[in-house]
Amino acid sequence: MDGIRVGRRVIGAQSPVTVGWENIPKVQGGPVKQFIFTWFQPTMLFALLAFWYYAPNSLAKASIALWVGFGFNALLLGLEWVNPRYASWRLTWKELVTDLFYVGLAYTLLRMASYYIGSDAMAKAIEHYFQQDKFTWFTGLPLLVQALLIFFIFDFGQYWMHRGMHSWYPLWLPHSVHHYITQLNINKGAVGNPVELFLIGLGIGGFFDFLPRAALLAGVLKLTTGTYQHINVRFNSPRWWRFLFTTTEHHSLHHSQDYEATRSNYAGSLIFIDRIFGTCVDGEAELLGMEGGRRMSIREQMTYPFTEGWKALKERFGRSSALPAQ
Amino acid sequence: MNLRFIDWIWHVRGSLTLSPGQSSDDAFNRLDPLFRQTGTSHQRTNDTLSFCKKNQAAQDRMSVFNGGALRIEKSMAGSVLKYHLTSRALLFCFLAPLLFLGIARFTIATNKFDRPAHEAAKKSAVIPMNPIDKALGAPAPDTPKKDDAGAEEESKKPSPTPAFVFAGIFAALYVVGRILEDRLVKALFRKNLLEAVEIHQRQLSP
Repeated sequence: MDGIRVGRRVIGAQSPVTVGWENIPKVQGGPVKQFIFTWFQPTMLFALLAFWYYAPNSLAKASIALWVGFGFNALLLGLEWVNPRYASWRLTWKELVTDLFYVGLAYTLLRMASYYIGSDAMAKAIEHYFQQDKFTWFTGLPLLVQALLIFFIFDFGQYWMHRGMHSWYPLWLPHSVHHYITQLNINKGAVGNPVELFLIGLGIGGFFDFLPRAALLAGVLKLTTGTYQHINVRFNSPRWWRFLFTTTEHHSLHHSQDYEATRSNYAGSLIFIDRIFGTCVDGEAELLGMEGGRRMSIREQMTYPFTEGWKALKERFGRSSALPAQ
Repeated sequence: MNLRFIDWIWHVRGSLTLSPGQSSDDAFNRLDPLFRQTGTSHQRTNDTLSFCKKNQAAQDRMSVFNGGALRIEKSMAGSVLKYHLTSRALLFCFLAPLLFLGIARFTIATNKFDRPAHEAAKKSAVIPMNPIDKALGAPAPDTPKKDDAGAEEESKKPSPTPAFVFAGIFAALYVVGRILEDRLVKALFRKNLLEAVEIHQRQLSP
């Protein structure tokens, strides 16, 4: 395999990838289908933004946002059946059960960890030093500007955490197991070692609790743009959308079996952050995973970072058991 | 302990009558591609085929099963394929509700120990509203009340509700999976065996 030269890198020398928007297949079907799968993403973004912007205070609550998130994911699961990107990524009963197990952990144990030792705890620890009057310049901004700033700061932090995970071995260990997924489906974002999911969730979320509506709007920006990273749906995303936001195409390339391709497209929602730092590659891949597409069991996902870390430590610091021959 | 009474949870058993004249070799040859998948090893003796799967691919048609045996029994009425398959995924899904109920109990217990310190509760200030938001008609933020800080702190604590919801989801998924996967594997075997008979009949017809 020759691969394709992208800047100074050669992408796709180890596993097939498609590079360039003009080479990516389009949605097949009649004009109605084409219309729906072209405008679905922007419509959902603006519709949900309008909902949270105008919702009465009695509805603008985190608990309602949770149910909106559930409903949105259920709708996208339906779209996976209607217009799958690849038959080889079709959701099976076993895949659904596996994915939902990780989603369940995220909603329960990880949420607890975040509350007691993660973002929420960090925000709580410094709230006594926080002088709200020093931030009136921010709280006085229009709601959508506040939301966009929160969204950008959060995604910018995630970009560097994610890039760090691909560049520094101790952080790569917990993240590596997420790269053993062999197909993209709506809940695959939750699949991974809980340590990694805790680390990647570390951010500034808890610091904006005093701005409930702006935080909800930022959350819906994340929901309606970042969710498409892991989804088995073919969209004809408008040109401006794929310039700004991370698409399934971008993220499938990031999950490719090709090593060079995995070192691109780190942003969770805003692909233009990758464009700024030169790590964006526009393209897609069907063959995903590590070790030639070996599917990792839940048990191995839970233990792998620790067993591999222990092996690495022993190699580095352990004494050789065999004495050299005299 | 006799597991026979509970092993239906993760064991799938069934049988299919073979067409008259179909030999064991014919039948196993037709089923053979199902066991030539990544991560699958299998062994064949005269009337029995046993298999084992490890790290099977997601799209393997039998990925839900980890092992099993298929046996062809001959009787006066004809030959019957009997299969006995085991699935760790079904067992896992059966046990998952218990795990999430445990997590719910743990969340309730943790919340009891973690009483919020009301005196330390954050003092909410009135957040100004930008004129643009006023002009666009966004609802004005609520005026914070004295008791709100404590109630707000309490509402942010991890709730056991998601754990109960996921326990319910996995219980429902188990019922669906136990019935669905049983039917799917039977249909898969039948389809492969029938194709064999159709080919055999086509070969016999002039």
